[in-house]
Amino acid sequence: MGASLYILDLVVYIGIFGIVALSLNLEFGFTGLANFGKVAFFLIGAYTYALLSQMGVPFYLCLITGASLAAIFGLLVSLPALRLRADYLAIAVLAFGEILRLIVKSEKWLAGGDWGTPVNPIFPYTGSYIIYRLENIGLVFLCLIICFLVVQLLANSPYGRVLRAIREDEVAAEALGKSKAKYKAQVFMLGSAMAGLAGGLYAQYLQYVLPGMFMPMVTFTVWIMVLLGGPANNWGALLGAALVQIFARGTNIAKDYIALPIDLNDLQYILFGVLIILMLLFRPQGLLKESTIKTKALKLVRNGRRAIKNKGSQ
Amino acid sequence: MTVNWAQVFFNSAITGSLYLIGAVGLTLIYGLSRFPNFAHAEFIALGAYIGYSVAEQAGLGLPLALVVAFLITGIVGVLCYRGIFQPLAKRGASIIHLMVASIALGFVLRHSIGAVCTWKPLYFTAIGSAFDFGPLRITHLWLWLIFAALVLSLTMHCLLMYTKIGKAIRATSSNPELALASGINVDRVIWITWFIGAGLAAIAGIFLGADTAVVPLTGWNIILPIFAVAILGGIGNFYGAIAAAFIIGLVENLGVVGLVALGLSTTYRIGIAFLILIITLIIKPQGLAMLFRRA
Repeated sequence: MGASLYILDLVVYIGIFGIVALSLNLEFGFTGLANFGKVAFFLIGAYTYALLSQMGVPFYLCLITGASLAAIFGLLVSLPALRLRADYLAIAVLAFGEILRLIVKSEKWLAGGDWGTPVNPIFPYTGSYIIYRLENIGLVFLCLIICFLVVQLLANSPYGRVLRAIREDEVAAEALGKSKAKYKAQVFMLGSAMAGLAGGLYAQYLQYVLPGMFMPMVTFTVWIMVLLGGPANNWGALLGAALVQIFARGTNIAKDYIALPIDLNDLQYILFGVLIILMLLFRPQGLLKESTIKTKALKLVRNGRRAIKNKGSQ
Repeated sequence: MTVNWAQVFFNSAITGSLYLIGAVGLTLIYGLSRFPNFAHAEFIALGAYIGYSVAEQAGLGLPLALVVAFLITGIVGVLCYRGIFQPLAKRGASIIHLMVASIALGFVLRHSIGAVCTWKPLYFTAIGSAFDFGPLRITHLWLWLIFAALVLSLTMHCLLMYTKIGKAIRATSSNPELALASGINVDRVIWITWFIGAGLAAIAGIFLGADTAVVPLTGWNIILPIFAVAILGGIGNFYGAIAAAFIIGLVENLGVVGLVALGLSTTYRIGIAFLILIITLIIKPQGLAMLFRRA
């Protein structure tokens, strides 16, 4: 009973953070954008959901509004920095996340300041936490599948090939008439919208929001998921999300059985940090490598080559 | 409400001095290694803790604390460069990978500090007593801070302009290939800059910790204004950083007066640095560097 509840909870978390990891994969993996403020858009989605649901707005409208607001803010914040190098964007968005957390923390009338505010759940409690969590898994994974299909289709379309071209060589992409700022802004909006959606799901699942849930560490955790699983590989992003969540839970369980000389929270962050540095040093492509581009033309070429080879060997 | 303008300007000088000491290392390292080192915040926190243990726990006083923190944190900075960033750069890591690695390093350092020293805030005992000078309220610590900023500016000016290593730093910063071709030992230049930069961060950490409290988040709390100084001043530009530090110090303190007048929370003072950062990115991403071409 307890164990199955725990596993269901874990699955919900994997689903929610899977969506965020996919959105970062779209931005960083495919387009080469350094979004160091993912948590800002996650926060916008969560707080929008919380405030609208308190007013009695139906849940799908709350989720859609949260995602749209996140997209709009994503565009506004990224616009000044998109023309510039990757580091300017990283600093600007990181700063934006900190400011946003400061605002929800100081403005007590908005959402309860430090203590946060309760959120109306979508699914009423019917006497069993298992059913509540199963319902949430259904909703979260429906959203996850939609996001996965969107990102997967985008990545394997001509649009996705332009994104990879921009990532590899901005100047070459511009020379071919592809406006890098336009594509980057679109990707940043879409990525932020997905993070906002995940934020809404997160808020309604936990049934409360408070500023402490949106520390910079959240952004960093999502980066670990993408770098571990494999940038520019959507299956990798999901694998990373699952592994990081399982690892975090695993250390939580382990503390009950092993006496540790240091605080577990600190140990977890230290291990995550070391893991990331080692990954960057020894396997920057992640566990799953970037999948090759599939197009009809490439398939024809490959088939042709194989046919010639077969002929030669006969 | 009457505003004590003399105090506002004096506070601006204090804030500016602190940001200057904190940001010089960041901007020099940024200019040479070509990525923003987010772990700079943790060099600041590390300095605050070393300073606390020397000045308070060992009772050896502030001047010795400054020296010891400078040396130890400087060595930590060099080790981080040698152990993480240099190998990464050699493997052809992109700027994004370097930034992520620096954030990861920041988490390792911050939580190591938290694990060793606990997350309870520590407080320095006040150095001397506060006194009034005309309309001004002054503490000895603040005078020390302004003095330290002056010494730093003069020393760095002489170092960058008149010594061989300073000229090599400037040359490498503006064109690494040409510097290498002219026989400058670029590797040595970079690690010396990491040493100086991390050491200066530690000094900023001691002043910040002594003025407020020493916590593992000491550095992270001022990372925004420090990055704003580095960007407004022009990345890698020492003289731009001096101007930017005092501009941001002034605007921030004027902003606090404005926030109080508007009845808003003064915790938003950190938002002012963010605004300056965004405005700089929109209007002039290269910052004030064009005013200081020689540097």
